[in-house]
Amino acid sequence: MADERLEYHIYEVFAQESQMAPAVHQFSLLASSPDMALILAKENFLRRQKAWSVWVVRRDHIHRTGPAEAEMFDRMDKTYRETEGYRYLKEKWRRYKQEPLTAQGMT
Amino acid sequence: MPDDYRQYLIRLIAMHGISEIMGALPEKEWVPRAPTLHRKLAILAKVQDELGHGQLLLRVAEDLVAPLGMNREDLLNGLFQGTIHFHNVFHMPAPTWADAGIIGWLVDGAAIITQGMLAQGSYAPYCRALERIIAEESFHIQHGESICIALAEGTRAQRQMLQEALNRWWEPLIFFFGPPPKSELTKHQDLGLMYRLRNKTNEELRQRFFHKYVPRIQALGLTIPDPNLRLDKETNTWHYTQPDWSKFKAILRNEGPMSRARLTLRHSAWEQNRWVREVLSTRAAVAV
Ligand SMILES: [Fe+2]
Ligand SMILES: [Fe+2]
Repeated sequence: MADERLEYHIYEVFAQESQMAPAVHQFSLLASSPDMALILAKENFLRRQKAWSVWVVRRDHIHRTGPAEAEMFDRMDKTYRETEGYRYLKEKWRRYKQEPLTAQGMT
Repeated sequence: MPDDYRQYLIRLIAMHGISEIMGALPEKEWVPRAPTLHRKLAILAKVQDELGHGQLLLRVAEDLVAPLGMNREDLLNGLFQGTIHFHNVFHMPAPTWADAGIIGWLVDGAAIITQGMLAQGSYAPYCRALERIIAEESFHIQHGESICIALAEGTRAQRQMLQEALNRWWEPLIFFFGPPPKSELTKHQDLGLMYRLRNKTNEELRQRFFHKYVPRIQALGLTIPDPNLRLDKETNTWHYTQPDWSKFKAILRNEGPMSRARLTLRHSAWEQNRWVREVLSTRAAVAV
């Protein structure tokens, strides 16, 4: 039985600082196996920083959008989705707490 | 990406990455000889950081050479073939513990001035690598300051050792930022300015170095080995003796004092560790 030749791949590295923290992208590295990638990730990116968990993902397994899509994200007015678009409510509440709305006031 | 932009980046980042690795060599000589356990741990940590910087930068350079059908091995071999140079400061000897201190304090201090500028450049992957690197450089500088201050506060012999190390490193530090303008060696600078990979000239960086470090060197009671060094208060520029730039050119041809020895050391490390690379690229067949 012959030894199997391993190919090197680029891995993207993410680290989670605590259980509640999001996994944050650190950098990338070159490794011949996920095990090697995890060891290198620890040695290269987590010599000082503490981590709860480290992820390594082969770069060619990541599906991502590019610069063209980046523009699409900020094209539209989205205030209807955000509290920003409802700021006028505060003023209404202030007014109606002082002078409650009555049926008479309506036309 | 324009071709000359890519070529400039490859040259810059590969040289930077290889220099981080070569930079670990003069310091690593001092790991077994560090005066205390604490110093040994600290310099070992610094050496490990520098090799880590090499890894980050080679990773960035690798992505740039990939479309040209090249990989990391080609970059590492470029050093042996003489197509990739390593930084002039790493061609110098580090004969005493004070040299280890001066390297951490002033060589890394000079490096952070250049890297701080490069981190604002136009190529984001390089800038991201530099951000990580710079965070660690601050530790390197303080590690060096700590060694130098301890020696400056020490015996007469220790102070003298520190002064002699400064004398050895002053010229390499002037060389560090490269030649001043209007030199045939600065053509390369212009492309960098054009592509916004840098926003300062070699001379502007060197002046920054003087502003920051001359007062500190003097504060430790050391004498800078240049009688012409002085600050022109009106123009806020430092005057200094121009070193012999032909020496700098010789270093770029790997004809510096330690060029050959360091390349040989690097080459033997590369050969001696071949088996590690072999192990990492094979999965042993297991009998079932
Ligand atoms: Fe470094
Ligand atoms: Fe450093």
